[in-house]
Amino acid sequence: MASADPFDSALDLLRRLNPKHTTKHLQSLISLAPDLTEDLLSSVDQPLSVRRCKQTGRDYLLCDYNRDGDIRPPLGAAGGGESGGGATPSEKVRRMEVKANEAFDVYRELYYEGGVSSVYFWNLDDGFAGVVLLKKEAKPGSASEGSWDSIHVFEAIDRARMTQYNLTSTVILSLSTSSTGLGDMDLSGNMTRQIEQELPAESDEQQIANIGKLVEDMELKMRNLLQEVYFGKAKDVVGDLRSVGSLSEAGRDREAQRELIGSMRR
Amino acid sequence: MAALETIESFVEGAPPGELADVIADIKALTVSDPGLVSKLGPAFEKYNEEQFATAKLPGSTQPVIVSSHSSLGGGRYFDVESSTSFEYDHATQKASGAHSYVLEGAQAELTKSTLKSLSPYVKEHFPNAAYGVYPIENDSKVAIIIVANKYSPNNFWNGRWRSLYIFDPSSGALEGSLKVDVHYYEDGNVRLLTSKPIATSISSGTGAGIVKEMGNAEKKYQEELNRGFTSLSEGAFKALRRQLPVTRQKIEWDKVASYRVGQDIGGGSSRR
Repeated sequence: MASADPFDSALDLLRRLNPKHTTKHLQSLISLAPDLTEDLLSSVDQPLSVRRCKQTGRDYLLCDYNRDGDIRPPLGAAGGGESGGGATPSEKVRRMEVKANEAFDVYRELYYEGGVSSVYFWNLDDGFAGVVLLKKEAKPGSASEGSWDSIHVFEAIDRARMTQYNLTSTVILSLSTSSTGLGDMDLSGNMTRQIEQELPAESDEQQIANIGKLVEDMELKMRNLLQEVYFGKAKDVVGDLRSVGSLSEAGRDREAQRELIGSMRR
Repeated sequence: MAALETIESFVEGAPPGELADVIADIKALTVSDPGLVSKLGPAFEKYNEEQFATAKLPGSTQPVIVSSHSSLGGGRYFDVESSTSFEYDHATQKASGAHSYVLEGAQAELTKSTLKSLSPYVKEHFPNAAYGVYPIENDSKVAIIIVANKYSPNNFWNGRWRSLYIFDPSSGALEGSLKVDVHYYEDGNVRLLTSKPIATSISSGTGAGIVKEMGNAEKKYQEELNRGFTSLSEGAFKALRRQLPVTRQKIEWDKVASYRVGQDIGGGSSRR
């Protein structure tokens, strides 16, 4: 058997090990296979870290897209509008980044009622790209704790009269609760989804509106999916492992039902 | 962290039913140092004993359990119900070399009577489980284990339930833990990990009494766990992100700039 590609194996391992400790596993993998460092850091999503802008005193989010070298806060509302540092976008894309930060501030308040958001844009040869970051932590100290990190990476490619949007979204959701009766319960993980769509975009405002809509629809879809997996699927598997009620009684009930249906058919 | 320690931690973290996948990944990541994987023996043994690995003996339908409580040393384990001892290969997770094993000693009777009550209980509540009762600590106590696995790799999920109890006949104390581990990994990686300590006592000291108390504790725990799902869903999850804004309408993005003027949304402050 040909040996598997080490990078694919590293990703497979990260898909299996406890997602609550992805950052730790990532560090372990990098120490084991230093050649994979760049590839892993640019393709594995980790919980976002919060920094405070020295100029404005406002919080902003870091991720791999402003990871190395000169980290800059986002332009506009959520950041200080500091210039220099990081990959500075062109004047036009800069203006859009400022507006996008303002728009996603509104989005964040309406959906998250708190938290931190940051948007970064950069130029591409045939358009532009960016990342929309959102983070919220549920109040620690209450009966249940949690954190939500959204990482939306997109490309907006110019086409004749249309713009092609490629969006890859990851949500990292960690939840935990404990009590005397329950002991410890931890429900953590991440899910990733992608979408491609062509939309008309005749102005910068329309570009931001398109990106906003795509992110909003994606987050709604992913929130529903997370709800289904975390509270539906995981709970069902527990019920498959152990039955609260008696299995033989359940079996007798099913048998009786089958007989009833059978007799009705005759 | 040394390379061996790193890959040992990967083994320790393998989800239910996925040890072979984790080993394959480790092998691909350590091709430059093939000797490393051969040093994982102790990590495999620890993993299998802690996870209550199960094996089917040739000619038997009921699976047997690998644990520190059923260890005879030297890679051999025993099972009371089938009166067998067997050899277990921790790397391939296969059992072989079954021999007859006759249980004797002070706790032999309690062990057998507990098994007698345990068997119907497990069949009533676990569709697919292995169980065992073992005298431990120089025949002074009895360990009771239930492990239920359900693997569905084609649907990208696997799950395990583990019950461990230690009964001390001299004090009547029944102590242990209930653990659930569920992994879901379709386009993502989601893990449920739970742990609940059990500490109670059995006045009768009989096998039937022990199993009755186990049943009570497990029923109560599973109901708590189901409530835990509801409380996380209704509590932390809802507090993190709303399904829709208070207005119950999606954002009108072409008017998003005017939202600031039209309503107080807090000006984007991150601290409230």
